[in-house]
Amino acid sequence: MITQEKYRTRVKELLANNSVKMVIGYKQGSTADRRRPLFVRSFEEADELVLDSNCIGNLAGYLVTEGLLSDEKRVGIFLRPEGIRSINILAAESQLNTEQIIIFGFDTSGREVKALQGEQAGDFSGLIDSLKEKPPEKSSDALLYRIDQMNTEERFAFWKDEFSRCIKCYACRQACPMCYCRRCIVDSNQPQWINTSSHTLGNFEWNIVRAFHLAGRCVGCGNCDRACPVNIPLRFINARMAQEVFESFDHYAGTSQTQEPVLASFNKDDSETFIL
Amino acid sequence: MAKIGVFICHCGENIASKVDCTKLAAAIGEHPGVEVSVEYKYFCSDPGQESVKKAIRDNNLTGIVIAACSPRMHEATFRKACAEAGLNPYLCEIANIREQCSWVHTDKDMATEKAMDITRSMIEKVKRNNKLQPIEVPVTRRALVIGGGIAGIQAALDIANAGQEVVLVEREPSLGGHMAQLSETFPTLDCSQCIMTPRMVEAAQHPKIRLLTYAEVEHVDGYIGNFKVRIRMKSRYVDIDTCTGCGDCMTKCPVKKISNEFDCGLGKRTAIYTPFAQSVPNIPVIDKTSCIYFKNGKCKTCMKSCQINAINFDMKDEFIDLDVGAIIVATGFQVQNTAGYGEYGYGKYPDVITGLQFERLASASGPTAGKILRSSDGKVPETVVFIQCAGSRDPSKGVRYCSKICCMYTAKHAMLYSHKVHGGKTHIFYMDIRAAGKGYDEFTRRAIEEDDASYLRGRVSKVWEENGKLMVRGVDTLLGKPVVIEADMVVLATAMVPQPNAKEFAKIIGIAYDEYGYYNEAHLKLRPVESSTAGVFLAGACQSPKDIPDSVAQASASASKVLALFSKEKLEREPVVAATNEITCAGCWGCVLACPYNAIEKKDIFDRSGRLVKRVASVNPGLCQGCGTCVTFCRSNSIDLAGFTEKQIFAEVMGL
Repeated sequence: MITQEKYRTRVKELLANNSVKMVIGYKQGSTADRRRPLFVRSFEEADELVLDSNCIGNLAGYLVTEGLLSDEKRVGIFLRPEGIRSINILAAESQLNTEQIIIFGFDTSGREVKALQGEQAGDFSGLIDSLKEKPPEKSSDALLYRIDQMNTEERFAFWKDEFSRCIKCYACRQACPMCYCRRCIVDSNQPQWINTSSHTLGNFEWNIVRAFHLAGRCVGCGNCDRACPVNIPLRFINARMAQEVFESFDHYAGTSQTQEPVLASFNKDDSETFIL
Repeated sequence: MAKIGVFICHCGENIASKVDCTKLAAAIGEHPGVEVSVEYKYFCSDPGQESVKKAIRDNNLTGIVIAACSPRMHEATFRKACAEAGLNPYLCEIANIREQCSWVHTDKDMATEKAMDITRSMIEKVKRNNKLQPIEVPVTRRALVIGGGIAGIQAALDIANAGQEVVLVEREPSLGGHMAQLSETFPTLDCSQCIMTPRMVEAAQHPKIRLLTYAEVEHVDGYIGNFKVRIRMKSRYVDIDTCTGCGDCMTKCPVKKISNEFDCGLGKRTAIYTPFAQSVPNIPVIDKTSCIYFKNGKCKTCMKSCQINAINFDMKDEFIDLDVGAIIVATGFQVQNTAGYGEYGYGKYPDVITGLQFERLASASGPTAGKILRSSDGKVPETVVFIQCAGSRDPSKGVRYCSKICCMYTAKHAMLYSHKVHGGKTHIFYMDIRAAGKGYDEFTRRAIEEDDASYLRGRVSKVWEENGKLMVRGVDTLLGKPVVIEADMVVLATAMVPQPNAKEFAKIIGIAYDEYGYYNEAHLKLRPVESSTAGVFLAGACQSPKDIPDSVAQASASASKVLALFSKEKLEREPVVAATNEITCAGCWGCVLACPYNAIEKKDIFDRSGRLVKRVASVNPGLCQGCGTCVTFCRSNSIDLAGFTEKQIFAEVMGL
């Protein structure tokens, strides 16, 4: 509650002196536990801001809405640490300029919501480095633990079963802050690399291609997972890709705004297990 | 409407023995869009090509598929035939039914089925091929030669004498390389420096050669005809334009006991030094790690002794950026570190030396002025044992190859020794005497017959010291007996190995190397002086162990390749280049990073009022090499490669 009040005041302050044109935060959602995005342009709207442990969605994706940042005015945004990492990746991929983004950082890992020190993406590099040092424990999630224990066939069967529910609504893509392409590969039909119908092959093609496109970019915010209307545990595919690039290339997505994309860069010490 | 001609080649028996070509031709004839489907024994032959041309003209074909060997063999042949028949050459595709089918299968029915699939796949691709026009790129007529040993000097002189510009880069303070270190050379026993130094001087004074010594290639960009090279001029601390090479600084330098690299550690040098007396250029450098001034800020004795103020301690490394059209890599070799052979006692006993050290002892310009003396006590050795293959042909020590020159130089050493030390005795342990070359076998016979070298066929197991003698225990396999020889000196014919940084350097230039670090030629037999990268050529021992005649021959061969490249003003390049879709490009610049040729630039897109709308990737077709790395990286499929478009590849895959 203290953090919420502090941030409401700060938002009003920035709006009052025209330092930001808008702040993207959270407000009360349709049920008691749900929060939805709020786009604050006035003092009245600032009073609707909510900040508590239910504010889990990663709002970074709204920043790349076409035209939002092209007037070069600043925008404020409420972000958890993984959201800040998203900002770094978006900056590294030239989708935004971090100087334009004022960050209201917060952490919901404890019982109380805690404000994070700093307002610019660069201010949080120490925090992100410390996160890289201690990646989350694998066994923390029962399902993840189960998937880890499976052999290749079992895992394939598991995902086949999960993907069989996919209805190709692309909510995962819409919710993902990394899916900013103007035309998604799945919408390209000359040629149609990814089958659009929701059968096993098409579903596999879509979900696996998306996982590869997120390799070294996914920060594990869980937006895709929560957006999925048929509850496919998508975060685990992306977490696995993140683990692979971390172990193979020491790449932790979003450590800085100059980080090179893992699949387009190399250094001499990279392991070459795939070269026989 | 597509009218495709399919030409199925028997390749003698190469294809026909495993693929039923008649059945294949009949089946392919049924494929939609195929107008002609014929078989023939050799389509690459003149009558074969004529029949293809005739079929194109007679049937107004819109594309052809040659079902034959790998496109690496004859794609160019058939594209040319297409062009001659009036069909755009890029409307020709090769279906590889030899390397990828008949050569690797035994079951004829299944191989025929597979050949059908491969051919159908290429028919589907060629239906979607576009007419492409070759791209012309200018050629920078200036060559870069890396390495100033005999190979580099020869290559530079050959190019310069033909009237083209050369930049010759040498890492060390002087030209010369290993050849300058040698005493006499086989098989004629002429003095190495006597034949080498005129070449060095000629290279340094040649108006078409720009000589950069004490310099290293830092970075190479670009492609054949248009390389951009960055060279680091290491700070000599001596002004190369002012210095007259009088040598006063070297005489005055108080640090005199630095082990001399040029003499393989047998002699001493000062901190300000030239590697050897005939150095070209004869300008000293200051060895920063040994110089007192660089250690504690005091001394500058050399500076005081220099009457023309050529010494400047504030000198910094400088960079030179050059445009060159071709590169010759002549970076040479090193001798293997013999410390790995504990049983021979190298490093433990001062009188166990390497072949290169023996060269320095025998050299008139060496530390002993050409006298063969022991390092331990300065005495003349009465018995010398030479151990051949001390490293070479020994998989357990990591070198499986033959170093090629050791049989010859060991025979030479034995001769030089017997000429210099009358009554001295030489024993040579060898595995085989490999003396293939003009005058080579005669040379080794001369060592045995005239200079009394005693050759023992067998290996040495151990060298140890006893009563001031080096005891060499080996085996004479021809007698089937173990032998122990009391020697005063042991000379190891150490293996030739690549430069220690050869692999890193290959990555800078962008050429391939083998498991040891020797640079790979484009084709072992047919393209032995070209590297795998167009416009980069190889000369000398950086490719494999070589003697002087071989190095010189390869250097001249490389030079002639460079001159052939420079004989045209423009190069025609294949139009297989990438292009971006500016509408869908999201501007993430992954392709810019991924491109190994720096061919992708950022392009600003403005609206009518001049307002920046967005920035997108744009490919420079002059730089693009058509590797397709960007295509695979682009998440939104906004890059396509001409000749291998997504539509073509998709059709090819779906045609299977």
